[in-house]
Amino acid sequence: MTEFDFSAVRPEDSPQDVEEVKALLAASQLQFDTEIEVLVLCRARDRLIACAGLDHNVIKCVAVAKDFRGKSLSLRLGSEIVHLAAGRERFHLFLYSPPHNRDLFQGWGFYPLVEVPDLVLLMENSPIAIKSYCDLLRLQKSPGNRIGSCVLNANPFTLGHLFLVERAAADCDWLHVFVVREDASVFAYEDRFALVAEGVKDISNLTLHQGSEYIISRATFPGYFLKEKATIDHSWAAIDLLLFRAYIGPALGITHRYVGTEPFDAITDNYNLDMKYWLQEAQSTKEPISVVELPRMAINSTPVSASAVRRLLTEGDFDSIKNLVPATTLDFLEMKYSTAAQSAEGAELK
Amino acid sequence: MKIAKEAIVGTLESSDLLVKVAPNDSGILDIVIRSEVIKQFGKQIRRVIDQTLSKLEVSEGTIIVEDKGALEYAIRARVQSAVLRGAASEELNWEQLS
Repeated sequence: MTEFDFSAVRPEDSPQDVEEVKALLAASQLQFDTEIEVLVLCRARDRLIACAGLDHNVIKCVAVAKDFRGKSLSLRLGSEIVHLAAGRERFHLFLYSPPHNRDLFQGWGFYPLVEVPDLVLLMENSPIAIKSYCDLLRLQKSPGNRIGSCVLNANPFTLGHLFLVERAAADCDWLHVFVVREDASVFAYEDRFALVAEGVKDISNLTLHQGSEYIISRATFPGYFLKEKATIDHSWAAIDLLLFRAYIGPALGITHRYVGTEPFDAITDNYNLDMKYWLQEAQSTKEPISVVELPRMAINSTPVSASAVRRLLTEGDFDSIKNLVPATTLDFLEMKYSTAAQSAEGAELK
Repeated sequence: MKIAKEAIVGTLESSDLLVKVAPNDSGILDIVIRSEVIKQFGKQIRRVIDQTLSKLEVSEGTIIVEDKGALEYAIRARVQSAVLRGAASEELNWEQLS
């Protein structure tokens, strides 16, 4: 019996291993992903025969050399990567795979969530997590014919967000608002959520929801958080939107999704196009969700955007910021970034 | 006892099992079993897991078992060790476990 030798390496520490991994992936028509924290490698007599990558709680770049395919090696590889993740306190895992490998990863204890046909399948390592999540959402369902939704990163919450939410709420019997949970933005989730909560508190037909791993998270939409690096792949947006259409929308009876037009950011603009396709046009057994694109609020013919606020913040220009954000956001920014605080924390803003 | 934190124990290899435990948001005990031999031995596997959990007095948590045809004592040992890790409890009554 061949001895299998497992090891874990960080890609940046081991360019040679990365070259071998790239070759192994290429043999399975897969590409190496630069967003990988750690790789599990399996060698037999020094030859790399299997690999799997972990990025936060996402497993990707899994390959086994053709002549070593057979259940036992793959299952060992699966055990290794799952325990490696557990050692990093990551238990709820997601996995990206070509759809034809579904059965293989089911053997790893992963269950299909959504699939972009013929391209990519997203799985998670729980048979009940998505159902439990939807059960909790369903408790917050509100009656009505037209049930709207919007998803905000609110980094930070501006008058533009408020305008979008107010218009959407006026348009619908009920509106569900989600705040992106991932802490990959300039402002911490807690702060972003608090500012949204404060900003929308007078709107009576609205439920504000905590974000989750199933809505624009690193797991379901990694590209979203890379946008400043301008690296993006369309299939990421599709996965995120299909999750919304297949699970979140039906749980809350959502019929419409509202989004602001995007004049500045090409990535977000593409996301809006993808949204129309995957939520309402793409063939699916799930009910379509109509996308409503509202023109972005403009002040003095300049569209209001969170990125503009962040830019002004680095310049310490609170007079200009005042025109773009509600009083609650302004108070928060002044408290956190003016004068003394600015020299310490302002430097981190990009 | 309650499952207070996530833990994972075991492997996916043949004749073993992987046990994942996690806190339960709805405050219930949720047990999900997948086994390659569920048709032949599903009832026995379920019984061993239920007995092990009740001996440990587990009242709340999510328990997910991916069984690869493990024998009863392996199932018992894996479930025990997953629960003890997940319960974050130092108190351990070894007599209950036997």
